[in-house]
Formats: sequence, C-alpha cells, structure tokens
Amino acid sequence: MNNIFIITWFTLREAFSRKVFLFFFAISTFLLLLLFISSTGNVKIFIGTNSSGSNFSSDFFVSKLELGMTSILAWWCIILSIFSTSSFIPIMLEKGNIDLLLSKPVSREQLLLGKYFGGLLVVFLNIAYIVLGIWLIISIKFAMWNFAFLWAIVFFTFSFGILYSIIILSGVITKSSILGMMLAFLVYTILSPAVYFLYNNLDLIGVSNSIKILVKIFYYIIPQTSVIDNYLLNNLVLGLPVVSYQPIYVSLGFIILTMGIALSIFKKKDF
Amino acid sequence: MIDNAVETYLLNKIYFSSFGKKKVNALNELNLSVKKGTIFGLLGPNGAGKTTLIKILLGITFPTSGTASILGEDISNFHVKQLVGYLPENHKYPAYLTGESVLYFFGRLSGLAGVQLKKRSEELLNLVKLSEWKKTKVKNYSKGMMQRLGLAQALLNDPELLFLDEPTDGVDPIGRKEIRDILIELKNRGKTIFLNSHLLSEVELITDRVGILNKGKLLREGNVKELTERKEEYKIRFGDESINLLNPEMLARFSLIKINDDYYSLRLNSGEEVNKIIDGLRAEGISIKEFVQQKNTLEDMFISLIKESELEQK
Repeated sequence: MNNIFIITWFTLREAFSRKVFLFFFAISTFLLLLLFISSTGNVKIFIGTNSSGSNFSSDFFVSKLELGMTSILAWWCIILSIFSTSSFIPIMLEKGNIDLLLSKPVSREQLLLGKYFGGLLVVFLNIAYIVLGIWLIISIKFAMWNFAFLWAIVFFTFSFGILYSIIILSGVITKSSILGMMLAFLVYTILSPAVYFLYNNLDLIGVSNSIKILVKIFYYIIPQTSVIDNYLLNNLVLGLPVVSYQPIYVSLGFIILTMGIALSIFKKKDF
Repeated sequence: MIDNAVETYLLNKIYFSSFGKKKVNALNELNLSVKKGTIFGLLGPNGAGKTTLIKILLGITFPTSGTASILGEDISNFHVKQLVGYLPENHKYPAYLTGESVLYFFGRLSGLAGVQLKKRSEELLNLVKLSEWKKTKVKNYSKGMMQRLGLAQALLNDPELLFLDEPTDGVDPIGRKEIRDILIELKNRGKTIFLNSHLLSEVELITDRVGILNKGKLLREGNVKELTERKEEYKIRFGDESINLLNPEMLARFSLIKINDDYYSLRLNSGEEVNKIIDGLRAEGISIKEFVQQKNTLEDMFISLIKESELEQK
C-alpha cells in the first residue's frame, strides 16, 4: 500500500512538472476570475415557465448554469488529461527507467496501480478546482447551495478513470502513447456518444432488428462516459429521478477488466 | 548459513523475434555461483548475455527455464530486493527530479523513510561528491554525474548484494578510482558485488573472481590469477656479468629467447624441467637475478578465449 502511495505521489509530481497542466490551471483560473468578476454585476433571475409549459425555478436555472459551465471546462480537462497522461506508462517502461523501478522491492501490480491512481488524482484535483470554483462563485452570487452539483467531481473523474484504463492497457502492450491517446479520444468523443445516441433513438431510426441488437450489445460493452457525464450527472444535480445506474456498473466492469488485462500482461513482460 | 549470494542452475533465456521465427539464446544452461562477501566480475562482448543475467536475477526479465536465487531466496520473491542494490547501464531518472529527490523517491521505494532516509541521502551525496548539485534537476547532469548519482541510488538501502552494470561508464579517471575505492570498502564490510564491465583493466584490479560469458555460455570462471597465468612460460633476468657468458649455442640449448637487453623468455613442456634448466645454467656459471612465471593480462586472456569460442562454434 505504501509503495502504491509513493508511486501515486510521484506520478502527481510528474504531471505537475508538465506545462499542459499548468496551462490548464491558468485557463481555469482565468475563467473562474472572469466568472467572479461578472457575477459581481446585477443579475436577476426570472422565474416562469418554459416552452413546454412546465415551471422552472431559480434553483433549476442555477444548477443548469453550473452544469453548463462545468461540462465545457471538464471536457477540456479530460481532453488535456488524455493528452498528458498518455505518456506516463511509455515513459515508465523506457529502458533504464523500468529496470530501476523493478529492481526495488515493489511488485509490478503496485507499480501499475500507483500510475493509475496517480493519473486519476491529477485529474481529480483539476476537476475539483473547476467544479468547486464554479460552485462557490455561483452559490455565493445566488445564495443557493446545491451540494448535489459536487457529484460532478466524482463523475468526471470516473469518466477519466475509464479512459485512463484504456491508455494504460495500450501503453503496456505497445509502449507507445499514441495508440492509447487515439483509443481514449475515440471512446470519449465518438463511440460513447454515438452508442448513447443510437440506443436512445433506436425506434426513431429505421434499422433492422439485427442492428438494434448490435447497438444494444455495444451499449452494454462500451464504457458509457457520455451517459455518466450527461444523463446521470444532469439528473442527480437537477434533482430528477435516475432510472438506472447500469452505465456505472458497465463502466466499472470495463475498468476492472481493462486493468486486469493490463496487469496480467505487465506481470509477464520482459524488460 | 548461506554461502552464496547468487546461484543459477541451468538458466536459459531465449528471446523470440516478433513473429517467433527467429530466436536468440541469450543464456544457455548457465550454472553460476557467487560467494558472499566477494567482488565478482562478469565479462563478455556485447550481446554475451551479461545484462540479461542481471535482469533475470532482479526479476526484470523472466528466465525461459532453469532456476536462480539471490541471498538464498528464489528470484520470484521480490521482497529480497530490500537487500539488493542495482545500477543499470544507461539508467534514466525522471527529468523533473533533482539529485536529492531521485534519492528520496528510490529510497522510499526501498523501504526507507524520514530522518533515516534524509541522513542516508546526504551521506551518499557526499560520498559521490554531488552534494553541491543536489538541488539541480537531473536533466542538467553530465554522464559522469548521472553515473555517480546512480551509484548513490544503488547504495541507498545499504545492500548486501550490489549489481553494477558498467558503473564507470562516462566517469573520468579520478572518478573511476573513487568508485573502485568505494567498491573495495564495501567488500571489506562483507558486501557482495556483482560487476559487469567492459573495462577489463578495472575488473582485474578489484575482482576476486571473474566469469567470461559469450553467447550465453560461461566459458571460464576463476580468480584473476588462475585465469591470467600462462603455463610453463617464464621470464628470466641474468646477472650483469653472466650476460656476456651467454652465447648462441647456450641460448639454443636452454631454449632461451632474448626479449630485450635485460630479459629472456623460456618456454618449457612441463614444470618439472624448471629445476633442470636452472641447474644447467648455474653449472655454466650463469647467475640468475629474476625468474618469473609469465602472465597474460586479463585482456589477452579474454580476447583469446572469445576467439577460441567463436572458432569452435564455426
């Protein structure tokens, strides 16, 4: 456990030594400052009905505002994190570096898990900075404290955890950062949203039954970052009912499976 | 009580190419034992299997077959590495770390912490003369500095067994001497040192035993004296007055060959002839000032052994 903690801590240091995280931190701070300055103006919330005739409250508006801002920043954070963390494993596996690490009384499982948790911690801190910043500014401004909004930290970090497990598996197999980065981008920006969209609109799209079955299979195999970051998070923050937590279970299973494969390959690999 | 710090039995390592068509026998049924408290030098040309052997012993690479142990424990037990130090060839440290933080990181992974780690790091930085540079990022270190930092890193946990792969690579002559002195000091404290080096003259200076490895096979093993002795070949120096007495007939009779004005060489079929020759020369009134069995340098022996092995394989 102690070894995992040390590797996690040094992975965090490695991440913060990279300019991309400093860049992200600077951009986040700048946007938070802008939000803070603009929130000092006289903003009024009008409560009424929307186009479908249902009521929406000021709480609803504030939560939507928080979510909208956070989604954009967290999306950027995850994209930058994929870009930056994709080299963690290839660098660790470089000749001369991995030799030293494996010569210490550290198991290979501890090494890989330390790198995984290190990457997660980096993204957790970045996202927590944005979410807490936005939440504090908006909550103070409107005197509405929606604690459910803080779920965004957990959900976005979890989404990144799914993508990072793909990056780790690919890094262990290929010792290269490019494939992992491409796969993570593919899952996050194309596959997951596409499967989510197709699954929810199966009846509207005129496709054969076999295609429908295929989409449903993919829905239960492909990690569902889109559902987690959008549907689940939205409903929790806005106080709407969550019909199923299945996407969480599927994604958790995906992480366990991917990391399990990565570990079993890493344990047998010659360096 | 375990006598050997390193033991291998029929150790094999075969590397396959990506599609499994080509295979390379990096280690070939290697049996080796290294006694505790000694300095063992493993010599061999590039690709002989020296680094592969160390990597297998440290669990960095896995053997294809055979067994190996370090400090009496099977190599699969990673906890034994608490008693082991390693300086790999071309080691790399994360560029963002300073010399001091490299030692902190690897010290923590070796099980050290707190005041003990801080004290040990400072001692070692002093020992390898890097105290002034401890706050400098390692990306700015020279090759020699990296090598010295590597040695400090390998010594952090005060290891019982130290593996060094080309430890003086890139180090200047004074630095090399300092490293040699450190290794001798460690040996005097009962530590075992397993040394891979291309610098045969250096190995010759400090090792107790030497192994010659080529294409994964251990060609010879022994102490430097045993390995470099040239059997039945002697160098003789005569008394100044006696030189005038030596004539060509006498040189031919005693199989003497003039090396230079002072020395003559003598090659015999067996050691028993030595006394006959000495008696014969004395009977001719020739005084002998020096009579020494000839020695190869380790380099001579190494080159001839590798050449022989290459010829045998052809």
